[in-house]
Amino acid sequence: MAPTLRPARPIKHLRLPEFQHMKSYWDPIQNVEVVRVLAGEFYVTHCSEMITTVLGSCVAACIRDSAVGIGGMNHFMLPAEKASGRESNGKGAAHGLNADAAYGSYAMERLINCILKYGGRRENLEIKIFGGGRIMGGIADIGLQNISFVRSYLRTDGLSPVVEDVGGDFPRRMAYFPATGKALVKKLRNIRNETIVQQESAYLADLRRVATQGGDVELFGD
Amino acid sequence: MATILVVDDSASMRQMVEFTLKEAGHQVMVAEDGQVALNIAKGAPADLVITDVNMPNMDGITLIRELRTLPAYKFTPILTLTTESTTEKKMEGKGAGATGWIVKPFNPEKLLATVNKVLG
Repeated sequence: MAPTLRPARPIKHLRLPEFQHMKSYWDPIQNVEVVRVLAGEFYVTHCSEMITTVLGSCVAACIRDSAVGIGGMNHFMLPAEKASGRESNGKGAAHGLNADAAYGSYAMERLINCILKYGGRRENLEIKIFGGGRIMGGIADIGLQNISFVRSYLRTDGLSPVVEDVGGDFPRRMAYFPATGKALVKKLRNIRNETIVQQESAYLADLRRVATQGGDVELFGD
Repeated sequence: MATILVVDDSASMRQMVEFTLKEAGHQVMVAEDGQVALNIAKGAPADLVITDVNMPNMDGITLIRELRTLPAYKFTPILTLTTESTTEKKMEGKGAGATGWIVKPFNPEKLLATVNKVLG
């Protein structure tokens, strides 16, 4: 069988306008254009592309609407810190009145909204979740907190994942093909985690600033 | 304390905003899209509307335009609470009659401060 050749023109011009800035490269083995999603980013496509990422404590939701042919992936963790020092009571925590839930909901909604914006329908969404490994030191299991949040968010929104590959004490390298829904996961049991821990720690520090401040507020009468 | 209509297609987000507002003593009505919100608004006045922008059936910008045609909502403060942050979208919201634009992720205290400010 003849090998698939790279398209004469890169498919970047077919990308959704929100993602024109994302870099990509051609994978000659998979014969596909590859977009790498970093912590805090998300990517949605209607093209036959492969989305890759490496997950430690972070989680990634891979979501698509196969009927419309659009899907994508996010990559995030919770800031794991209260928004502004307000004491959380049990009731508040259950309803997610903190920066964690506000940020996590934002990360999930950003991905889902983008899929819906380009024709996806909520009732058609096929959802797979990955990551949430316990790779960072400390008493709190940050990976488990991230997993619990995603499960709770999906349950509250009436959505359920068809595949979960979460937890464990190892990072994951993964690839997702929104056009087919195929997800490939490699559990990185035999590599040193320091680089991933450093990257996630830097992301977490930045995330806490963002989550504590919240998004911009603009009053038009001002 | 005020009666506030919260509109968002995400149940998680509706719960969080509702809880934040109720903790501050406000009464809250919720709707999952613009069409449901409009139906509620026609039957019950609110002191403030907080609406998402991207929603099925009727989006937040259309909802704002429709609400501004109702005498009871002509001068009611309407805030958007959305992941959209582009200047173009904000100007579209302003043109439709929005009072202000809040970008997610929302900070509960910041949201309440903004609510108090627009309620005067």
